Amino acid sequence: MNEPIVAVEGLVKHYGDVVAVDDISFEIQEGEIFGLLGPNGAGKTTTINVLCTYTEPTAGEIVVAGHSVTVEPEAVKRAIGVVPQDIALYPDLNAVENLRFFGRMYDVPKARLERRIGELLKLVGLAEHARRRVEHYSGGMKRRLNLAVGLLSEPRFLMLDEPTVGVDPQSRNAIFENIQALNQQGLTILYTTHYMEEAELLCHRVAIMDEGQIIALDTPQNLINTLGAGIIHIGIKDVAEEMLTRLRALPQVKAVARRDNTLAFETLDAQRALLEIIGLFNETDTPMTSLEILEPNLESVFIQLTGKQLRD
Amino acid sequence: MKKLFHITLNELLLLRKDRMAAVWMIILPLAMTTIMGLVFGGFGEESEAVVIDLPVVDHDGGEMAAMVLDILSQTENLQVETAYDEETARQLVTDGKRAGAMVIPSDFSTAIVSGQPTALELVVVPGGQTTPLLEGMVRGVTSGFSNVQTTVEVAISEVQRATGSYDLDYEGIANRVVATTLERLEDPPVRAQITTVGGTEEEEFDIFGQVVPGYAVMFAMFTVLSAAGGILEEKERGTFKRLLIAPIPQWSLLGGKLLAQFLMGVGQIALMFLFGALAFHVQLGNSLLGLSLITLATCWATTSLGILLVAVIRSRKQIHPITTLVILGSSAIGGSWYPLFMMPKGVQQVARVTLVAWAMEGYNRLMMLGGSLADVWVDIGVLLLYGAVCFGVGLKLFRFKEA
Repeated sequence: MNEPIVAVEGLVKHYGDVVAVDDISFEIQEGEIFGLLGPNGAGKTTTINVLCTYTEPTAGEIVVAGHSVTVEPEAVKRAIGVVPQDIALYPDLNAVENLRFFGRMYDVPKARLERRIGELLKLVGLAEHARRRVEHYSGGMKRRLNLAVGLLSEPRFLMLDEPTVGVDPQSRNAIFENIQALNQQGLTILYTTHYMEEAELLCHRVAIMDEGQIIALDTPQNLINTLGAGIIHIGIKDVAEEMLTRLRALPQVKAVARRDNTLAFETLDAQRALLEIIGLFNETDTPMTSLEILEPNLESVFIQLTGKQLRD
Repeated sequence: MKKLFHITLNELLLLRKDRMAAVWMIILPLAMTTIMGLVFGGFGEESEAVVIDLPVVDHDGGEMAAMVLDILSQTENLQVETAYDEETARQLVTDGKRAGAMVIPSDFSTAIVSGQPTALELVVVPGGQTTPLLEGMVRGVTSGFSNVQTTVEVAISEVQRATGSYDLDYEGIANRVVATTLERLEDPPVRAQITTVGGTEEEEFDIFGQVVPGYAVMFAMFTVLSAAGGILEEKERGTFKRLLIAPIPQWSLLGGKLLAQFLMGVGQIALMFLFGALAFHVQLGNSLLGLSLITLATCWATTSLGILLVAVIRSRKQIHPITTLVILGSSAIGGSWYPLFMMPKGVQQVARVTLVAWAMEGYNRLMMLGGSLADVWVDIGVLLLYGAVCFGVGLKLFRFKEA
């Protein structure tokens, strides 16, 4: 196996008493789109900030493109591209002026920079708006230019921090297409999002983060497969231990977990399992307060793992 | 180093693109300088003469009364009116249509030449704005005639003592004394000589020589500190972070921004001086080198103060009111609005903590007192030191990235 382009071992980041990232480890292979999926405050942006040398880690070994972020930050900076969550552009300048300025900051030679600016504007579909002030761009156009700036230096490894926040569907699709095209050209990408459908669509592997920890890491399909054929959530007032044992023994039920007043069922076949579960509730005269069948996807995985919604 | 200059150029490009900045940097300072110069300059110029209409009622009609009228007519700022009778003249004063009126009694001439007491009556309303002026004028006239009476008495008694004759032409002597006195008024043998120091007679106080550097320093501070606040804006917008994660040395990043702020300050002061020299013929003094050095030192100190404020304040919402307070406060006591030497001693001492005071002292010495470079070395030195301290502390406290 090749050396990973990113190797994170035991990353911890504290802000005073707040633990933003709590001992996470993962690797990203060359050519991969790796997703960090989690709700706001899960620690995704802090992880990216450490990887791009912006934030000092409290503990951990972090190597990016063969260089330690704490020992050789300049070498790391030259190997990476970052598309921050903020629209980090000068609104008074036009697209070309923004790209030219940031290109100079990466020492891109003049002739190559001008060529690169043309290519990137075409890639993100802004060639016709190249001379318009950025302040007059739509949110989606700004996001696309934000992406173009991150690609100026032709990085080996690109980090995208929630690049589709506040973007219209058309621009979102354009950004997805750009990311997939770039990846096909060999670019390794770290993609953070709290939209599970984006992670499912784009990422080869996904690390699900919650409260500073990675709670699951695998391909989207493998993560979804852990749910079996579907998840059923049933609200209850109370349930006896004997009832739980009988529910776990049902043929179509893989596992049952209890969280507060909800029972979460992993099933082999959600529809058949539902009939079995309802039958047992009726038989024992156990009241239900709610019933929900979850489609097997990353959102369901997250809910199954944490009991919380991704967009909480 | 190349990146530092690119960052500086980008800052200047952003300034050029910002229309409001152009208003702040060019139009507003020039307009304010012009307005303040014209407003305060009006007090320094010779004011247009105020003419007081003074009805004079002559009940005497004699030679001495004619002389009173003659003296009053020749008095600057006084227009003598003889067409009114006493009742009308008094009524005009009562109605507020005239500031005062004078009544010459019927025995005035006789009294003067015979050495008898008499009085010129001045009718005024109490508390009138020009009453003191009129009183002064009338007292001047009556004092003159009192002197004449005294002179006549002394002269006659001396002649009588010397000749033993009492058959003298009293009236003729008195008339000659009065006539001679009046002649002497035009070319007095004893006069007051007023000598001014600290300038030549030809040089007048040039208000623009104060206003131009004063407002140049104040607006340069606005420009530089506002640009410094731009660092906080960039931090909030995310472009500062984007630069920090690019392969740029931190000294290049901050240096590029500070160099741009410094150049904006220098450019603004230079523009203001150029405008002052061309539009209002402001005298820039005898030492262009001194003027340049004090300008560079002032901008260095201001730029450094900016980085200190940005390092300490850290929030864009807070920095604008605080910098405004710092600028207006230091301008008010530091001599931007009034010459420092005209301030009370206590204020002058307190003002020493502001960079404006040292800058304005330097400019005043060079531009108003015609000083040389040697006269402003201390001011330049203090400004450089001021800048070095602010820069050192500011850099120490400045947070490039998250801890």
